[in-house]
Amino acid sequence: MYLADSVCTRPNGRRSSGDGACASFFDRTMERPFKKLLVANRGEIALRIIRSARRFGLKTVAVYSAADARSAHVGAADEAIAIGPAEAARSYLDIAAIIAAAKQSGADAIHPGYGFLSERPEFAQAAADAQIVFVGPRPEVMAALGDKVAARRIAVAAAVPVVPGIEGAELPAAREYGAQVGYPIVVKAAAGGGGRGMRVVDEAAQLESALDSAAREAAAAFGDGRLFVEKYLAHPRHVEIQILGDNHGAVIALGERECSIQRRYQKIIEESPAPGLGAEMRAKMIDAALKLARAAHYTNAGTVEFLVEGDSFYFLEVNARLQVEHPVTEMRFGCDLVCEQLRIASGGKVSEPAAPRGVAIECRINAEDPEHDFRPATGTVLHLSVPGGPGVRFDSHLARGAEVTPWYDGLLGKLVCYGADREEARGRLVNALDEFALLGVTNNAAYLRDIIASAQFREAKLSTQFIDSFFPGWKIGQPEIDAAIVAAVITAGDALGGIPPDAASIRPAAGAERRSPWDDLRNFELWGARR
Amino acid sequence: MGRAAMKLTRVGDSREIDAEVISRDGSMIRVRIGDRQLAAEFAPNADGGGILTLDGRRYAVFCARRKDSTLVSVGPASFEFKPAQAAARRHARGLAAAEITAPMPGKVLKVMVRDGDLVEAGQPLVVIEAMKMETTLAAESAALVKRVRVEEGQMVDHGAVMIELSPSPASSLRQSARRDA
Repeated sequence: MYLADSVCTRPNGRRSSGDGACASFFDRTMERPFKKLLVANRGEIALRIIRSARRFGLKTVAVYSAADARSAHVGAADEAIAIGPAEAARSYLDIAAIIAAAKQSGADAIHPGYGFLSERPEFAQAAADAQIVFVGPRPEVMAALGDKVAARRIAVAAAVPVVPGIEGAELPAAREYGAQVGYPIVVKAAAGGGGRGMRVVDEAAQLESALDSAAREAAAAFGDGRLFVEKYLAHPRHVEIQILGDNHGAVIALGERECSIQRRYQKIIEESPAPGLGAEMRAKMIDAALKLARAAHYTNAGTVEFLVEGDSFYFLEVNARLQVEHPVTEMRFGCDLVCEQLRIASGGKVSEPAAPRGVAIECRINAEDPEHDFRPATGTVLHLSVPGGPGVRFDSHLARGAEVTPWYDGLLGKLVCYGADREEARGRLVNALDEFALLGVTNNAAYLRDIIASAQFREAKLSTQFIDSFFPGWKIGQPEIDAAIVAAVITAGDALGGIPPDAASIRPAAGAERRSPWDDLRNFELWGARR
Repeated sequence: MGRAAMKLTRVGDSREIDAEVISRDGSMIRVRIGDRQLAAEFAPNADGGGILTLDGRRYAVFCARRKDSTLVSVGPASFEFKPAQAAARRHARGLAAAEITAPMPGKVLKVMVRDGDLVEAGQPLVVIEAMKMETTLAAESAALVKRVRVEEGQMVDHGAVMIELSPSPASSLRQSARRDA
């Protein structure tokens, strides 16, 4: 169903009705279309945004640091501009450099992706000052919601339930609060995120040192040591609502995502719908998210995060940007959230979506070692097998020869599977992970496979304690270790002989130019190749 | 092809693996791992890897060498092996590792020990930050901190030696007791 005022054309004039997954209830018009979009990000999300921009016929501009000169997003865009050295602080976090790149390229819109500058009001303001459309909420909205204490106040004013707690964290007040509600309690940073500046306090004696160290960590990480104190929920689930708000005052919700499975306070498996969430509870949470969004005058895509315990839910925070896990929503609603963001930014309207269908589950393949405390890993991709088949989506910037450097976060790709029901989606995801292979960068794919194949995940025994409860000290299975050892000794003995065609082709030709794309593969020898 | 037993270690696991190819007949290969004998079948694929059949299970495997490492993927699982000689040097006299090196370039956030400290296995020594993550490096065995070579706030390169360890007096004693027995 289209809006009455929709003319169903793209900026390039082609009719868009009925053209693929994006055509559903969404208005496809860009009212004041922009022409060129700068993507202020890297990795899989930069690539994903470029793909959606193409659907509107937009030209795209990539920006890249010295470490990313040969990354996939650079090649995928219509043009690419170097913005600085590898350190994020001097490249992807350099507002002046990115605005300069936008001006230089004539971009009239910027999409920030997630992470980096995506939730920095100064960046949205700098874009506005340069007459460039920022694809996201207005800077003042972002500023209000980015501060967890201010966001809590907005929630309370909108009658949205929050975790019981107190603002400010002077020792006497915190001590009194702890005595009143009982331990454990949790100390959080107003500017926090990703578990930084957060401490669980089990008893009164630990309170003072927890406040000190949390304030110090928050000041170091965010330049803001303000804290607040909340009641600690022992086994909550993390459930979030996707919202879209237009510039005309309308806000819609696109269902929920369950993101309870986390390690080090970071999500690794997300799904929609949330298993076992009743219709009444879902309706209440959606209503709360919409009330909050309206109270904050929210525009563009955002996510309202809640903790759920029993029949109660509590507002956690708003992520004023596209989420990493947005594809699970897209698969159920048959939409493209980046297209929606672009359309909203151009003045388009939102309308109530059709009912979602089926189940989608996503897992994050990270460059990390799950056998050793998720230690980050780096390296060059020597081989990549990408799974396929119905209902399987892999959002990634990886390719053979791609380098995973220590400069940025280790997200290698998102594997997302859709099914008519949860078991179909889960089965597809297990099979897809079994098809996945990545040689050259230690990663968590086998770990994710074991979790998603487990009885505990099948039975949806979900809480933020899932990993600690069911997968502490996970190790790869002995049969796979044996297979790896057999492969290693066969290779070492060169027992198989012969050079597979691929091994020959991957090695640089004699006299090849030093900066050839194959250069970094020079030190590698594939199976069976002889020196 | 001559039989040559190999001594390997998995990176991150100090246990030594003693393995060799015992015989090969076409695609059928017999391998010894420790005191176990395994019958494997390997069929190469066009993509540079192959299908390894072991104990009735089929695995898509890929293999490559990087410096002295052998990298292997078995289905979605990835492995890195090193020759045991390099590891053996570190294991000298009861030490799991004589040096704590940076696993990747990053910033030293915290140094938790000083020269001369005695540390237990598992005791955290240094915290570094890289890829937006904090990584705590701990002692793999009891040891004496010989020298701390980094300070907080310092940037380190991949492989940089951050802390030198020597055997703790207690573990040396245990070692010599075992030799005497």
